[in-house]
Amino acid sequence: MPNPPKPTKSQKAQARAERAAELIRQQQAAERRRNLLVVAGVVVAMVLIVGVLFFVNASRDSADDIDAAPAGQSDFGLTIGDSGAPHDVVIYEDFLCPFCGQLERESSDQLDKLAKEGKVQVEYRPFNLLQTDYSVAAANAFAVLLDKEGPEVAKKFHDLIYADQPSESGEQPGADWLLEKAVDAGADEAAVKPGIEGLTEKDWVEDATKAAADAGVSSTPTILLDGKAYQDGRTIEEIADNLVAELE
Amino acid sequence: MRQWLGLVARLVTGGVWIYAGAVKLPDPYASVQAVRAYELLPASAAEAVGYLLPPLEIVVGLALVLGLLTRGAAAVSAVLFVVFIIGIASVWARGMEIDCGCFGGGGYDPDAQSSYPWEIARDAALLLASLYLVWLRRSRLALDDLLFRRTTSPTHEG
Repeated sequence: MPNPPKPTKSQKAQARAERAAELIRQQQAAERRRNLLVVAGVVVAMVLIVGVLFFVNASRDSADDIDAAPAGQSDFGLTIGDSGAPHDVVIYEDFLCPFCGQLERESSDQLDKLAKEGKVQVEYRPFNLLQTDYSVAAANAFAVLLDKEGPEVAKKFHDLIYADQPSESGEQPGADWLLEKAVDAGADEAAVKPGIEGLTEKDWVEDATKAAADAGVSSTPTILLDGKAYQDGRTIEEIADNLVAELE
Repeated sequence: MRQWLGLVARLVTGGVWIYAGAVKLPDPYASVQAVRAYELLPASAAEAVGYLLPPLEIVVGLALVLGLLTRGAAAVSAVLFVVFIIGIASVWARGMEIDCGCFGGGGYDPDAQSSYPWEIARDAALLLASLYLVWLRRSRLALDDLLFRRTTSPTHEG
């Protein structure tokens, strides 16, 4: 065995230590790379899951896919304005729904005006979304007036009971109140009283509700502008303003 | 001890997320309506958020329960809670009465005013739990321990 000089020994030890340190550095770098890959893989998987569910959700939400007859062409509505107007608006509503009341108070006058100017044809389609006695009684009274007194009185009545809309949470008025509003709207009390009190148009309300459901309407108010669901705005007020601006 | 507390924080926060997301996932329409009720986002953005939140909540919840990328999941969780607290505080300040839609539902709620403080308190507690997990880095029984097992001697880096 040769006799290695002292400096060589320490040099060897140093070289060994360097090699060991280098090995650890390499291992650590490999571990960092591996960890980074794992993190990236897991993150990609999570984003994929969220993304796929997002698109599944978007495609399952059928609220925008409403297939309803254009304005003036349903059996359960009241139409104002000319059929030749450049725009066509359909409003599905429930007489008790607070947002419908807000929409009516924000837009009704302007839509009347625009319809008179020939800029839009609007059809109001009330139905019983909320499944309350008042929703049924009010829609029934509306149908009675439409039948006995014609669209002008029915529209007036529609505007009146929205202007004075009862609260959804409190107690709702009954037939007496609806009859009073009908008379205020210009109806002949004797002619409409039996229909309003006896709910003679209950079937009409049920059919209108079924027609709305068949069209894919699941909330109120549902506004269709030229056949497409219109909900451009953060609040009902904004939606009403934007709709009117769109038609002007 | 702290790491066990971390496990508890993970299970509670993650469990709440999974529940909240799972309840909302089956009805995307209601979820969008619940977001709209806050009247903070324009229609198209509200729609996107309504579709996105339930799956995001479920994935964040699962990650926390499993202890998968715990720090990242806890950070996302904390951000979401901050956003929710701001949202609820803002409807409260505007005097609106809506269901927070946290666990399904949403829209008008006559008793909303009395539930806002408790909803904010709940979200604030869960926010603290999330921040604790971000600070703690490691907790017991986490998948992270399996995935990122050390093969070399530990360094200062985490």
